[in-house]
Amino acid sequence: MAPLVALMLAGCPSSLRTSPGPEVSTRPPPASPNAPTPELPAEVPRPAPAPREFRLSPATQSLVAQAHTLQGRGDLLGASSTLDRALRIEPSNPLLWIELGRIRLVEGDAHQAEVCGRKALALASSDQRARSGAGHLLADALRTQGRNQEASEVESRR
Amino acid sequence: MIFVALATVAVAAAAWIMHLDRVVTQQFQGRHWSVPAHVYAAPLELYAGAPISADDLEEELRRVHYRRGDPAAGPGLYRRVGNAFDIQTRRVRFIDEQRDAQLVSIHADASSVTSMRQINGADLPVFRLDPPVIGSVFPIHGEDRLVVSPEEVPALLRKGIKLIEDRRFDEHHGVDTLGVLRAVWANLRAGRVVQGGSTLTQQLVKNYFLTDAQTFDRKATEAVMALRLEAHYSKDEILVAYLNEVFLGQDGERAIHGFGLGSEFYFAKPLGELDAGELALLIGLVKGPSYYDPRRHPDRALARRNLVLKQFADTHLIEANAAQRAAAAPLGLRPGGGSYVPAYIDLVRRHLKRDYAEADLAAAGLSVYTSLDPRAQAAAERALTRNLQRLDAKAAARGGHLQGAVIVAEPNSGDVVAVIGGRETDTAGTFNRALDARRPIGSLVKPAVYLTALESGRYTAASLIEDAPIEMKLPDGSIWAPQNFEHNVNGSVTLAKALAESLNLATVKLGMDLGLSKVADTLQSLGLESATALNPSMLLGTVEMTPLEVVQVYTSLANGGFRARPRAVRAVLDEQGRPLRQFKVQVEPAAPPAAVYQLVRMLMLVPTHGTARDAAARLPRGLVIAGKTGTSSDTRDSWFAGFTGSYLSVVWVGYDDNRVTGLTGAAGALPVWADTMAGLKPVSFEPIAPDSAEDRWIGFDDGLETTPACSPSAVVIGVRKNTVLPRNPRCNPAQPPRVGDKIKSWFDRIVH
Repeated sequence: MAPLVALMLAGCPSSLRTSPGPEVSTRPPPASPNAPTPELPAEVPRPAPAPREFRLSPATQSLVAQAHTLQGRGDLLGASSTLDRALRIEPSNPLLWIELGRIRLVEGDAHQAEVCGRKALALASSDQRARSGAGHLLADALRTQGRNQEASEVESRR
Repeated sequence: MIFVALATVAVAAAAWIMHLDRVVTQQFQGRHWSVPAHVYAAPLELYAGAPISADDLEEELRRVHYRRGDPAAGPGLYRRVGNAFDIQTRRVRFIDEQRDAQLVSIHADASSVTSMRQINGADLPVFRLDPPVIGSVFPIHGEDRLVVSPEEVPALLRKGIKLIEDRRFDEHHGVDTLGVLRAVWANLRAGRVVQGGSTLTQQLVKNYFLTDAQTFDRKATEAVMALRLEAHYSKDEILVAYLNEVFLGQDGERAIHGFGLGSEFYFAKPLGELDAGELALLIGLVKGPSYYDPRRHPDRALARRNLVLKQFADTHLIEANAAQRAAAAPLGLRPGGGSYVPAYIDLVRRHLKRDYAEADLAAAGLSVYTSLDPRAQAAAERALTRNLQRLDAKAAARGGHLQGAVIVAEPNSGDVVAVIGGRETDTAGTFNRALDARRPIGSLVKPAVYLTALESGRYTAASLIEDAPIEMKLPDGSIWAPQNFEHNVNGSVTLAKALAESLNLATVKLGMDLGLSKVADTLQSLGLESATALNPSMLLGTVEMTPLEVVQVYTSLANGGFRARPRAVRAVLDEQGRPLRQFKVQVEPAAPPAAVYQLVRMLMLVPTHGTARDAAARLPRGLVIAGKTGTSSDTRDSWFAGFTGSYLSVVWVGYDDNRVTGLTGAAGALPVWADTMAGLKPVSFEPIAPDSAEDRWIGFDDGLETTPACSPSAVVIGVRKNTVLPRNPRCNPAQPPRVGDKIKSWFDRIVH
């Protein structure tokens, strides 16, 4: 129902994906030479997606716990297959990519750990907790590869 | 002199026999002793909220051969009361664990799983059903057979095949002299060939080593080989090998060998579950699989089956009234679909070769765990068959038989969950179009052009480019003057609109500005492994790809700029359940996530404002998708590649002989794509903006930043954070909004 109403009113199906939040951006006034008329107001409302806060569902939480148990027993293959299972249920959850990256580090595959960190960072969007976990992973993966400078940059950006 | 000649002949004969002996033993060892690997589909994952209805759950239980009954009585039984299921699971091996039999209770409603627990009351947050068996392969020489082991051969089949094909099998030594004499006598009396004298052993030898030519030379070779085979192997080994080898029918260009595969091919059941009538049909087929083809000649097949049943009864293999009952039953052939998935197995075979060491694959008793989702496979097969029938009827004048291919994958892992290599797997033959049909991709290439533009930082989705006539002198001196599909010219257009409406002129202008090699580089980094010829026409998709290659490229887009190699095989376990070296989910960066986000936002406009508008009517209301249509020159190839929140799918439709179809991507491939997705309970695609990107509203036509309140044509695009876009002068929030706008914005707020 809600999308329908929005569709009728906004006449723009793609706007369904995002909500035009009431808050107005606080960016400085634009200095674009392309702006058609300089006396226009500096701000217009912008689509503002609801802030995300990632959590694990009971299903993926139990799989992560199981992966930790397997990892504790030294069964890294089992742990990583179990995380694959969790990722099939929630492919866009950065917390799971962080878990997978941690396993890759233990396996000694710092390159894949780095990719998992980057993937988690891209998915984390504006969720600070997830960003921080992804950043830690990425920095650790970079350090393991001897790329200390990049690791420090990642950490200082957080 | 005579002695020397005789000795020479004897030596030559001995050498010949020894040679045949070696051939026989080597070949027989190779075939007989390589136990095939069992291939499993992905297990169905259940958890509260999983989109599996109660009816779906029951169907899935049946798929893995669970039966209704008292679950306390044993594994493999379930009870359904309303929407509540009590199940005793079997002991089952998964990639990562061996799970013992377990009593579980699952509730589901009309759309999803609502709760799960163990019957002892313990929590059960996540639970998977047994992985369904979908076939078996010899991983090394790669044939797909459903080879049965001696224990798996039903007793009636063992006795019945001897009865019908070789009554003296247990007595002769490979060649049945008495049988031959009897056959010759019978044939002489009848004046034509009414009986064959070949033993099962001879038939086996013929299948293994020889051609069909009826020469004396061949007959002699066959006889010697049969005798040597009997000298080396037991009767039972030979009988089982025969049952696994015998020719039972033709699936297009693909031969159906063996009773295991025959059982799946004709009845979609494991051999052990066939009843007397079904076994009689298969046994009867041996005499002439094409003459008695039960699909083409059901009357002949029925008569043949009933004759076999009568002989069963006459020799007391079964009781007379059981034979009569079976003879009264229909043939019971499987309907389309089911667990018979040759195109998918084909991919499994190739990925085994790609990802595993040949020496590892030689071990006996391997289990291959794949990503196949039988429901996705069935949905795609249905969607393709129905739409091609509809399109064929519409294009009756062309008199053709349209073909198609569908691949469905999970973009985050690259897991391929369904492969359809052509329509009507019963008759279409073995050409696997999904993997092997390399065709021009048309406008499917355009996202690579626009991604290159976004990556350059010089363009946003709101930038304006010229859609105007272009003429270009090519290196060979000819003039290239591309046209828009509608043969129109649009002037100044936004990138967003140029991509959504697939404007050729604007795209060529943009691509030439960026440089062909840059666009080719983008294609490569997205995952195209073959090289691209740098012609201007590549910008409009003269580059040729297979559907699988398109999946690889679009996976990188659906996956936010990360490349995942398509894979069908998740793991291979040895007989003890230990994994062979596993090909893990390897993900690699393919393109900057912020640029991909902007592109994907544009691809979401294709179904709302562009060439894929017709998809909505076939999809659940409000479902958000992203994708691109593709049409090659003169409409020879019709493509759609796109994704929902759960799956990526690529569809190709065209003629095998490359004739003009008259179908655009939207008319041919898109309906197949949409019907496939609609059958999968899709969730909406939700693009996640990386921290460096944000959303804006712009006018679709003018590219000016706006709000839905100001411009009815406002669309959402992604841009790099803090990008400055020119503003729509009419959109001035300092002025009091009109009453209508106020209500609109109030509504907008409450409905989101």
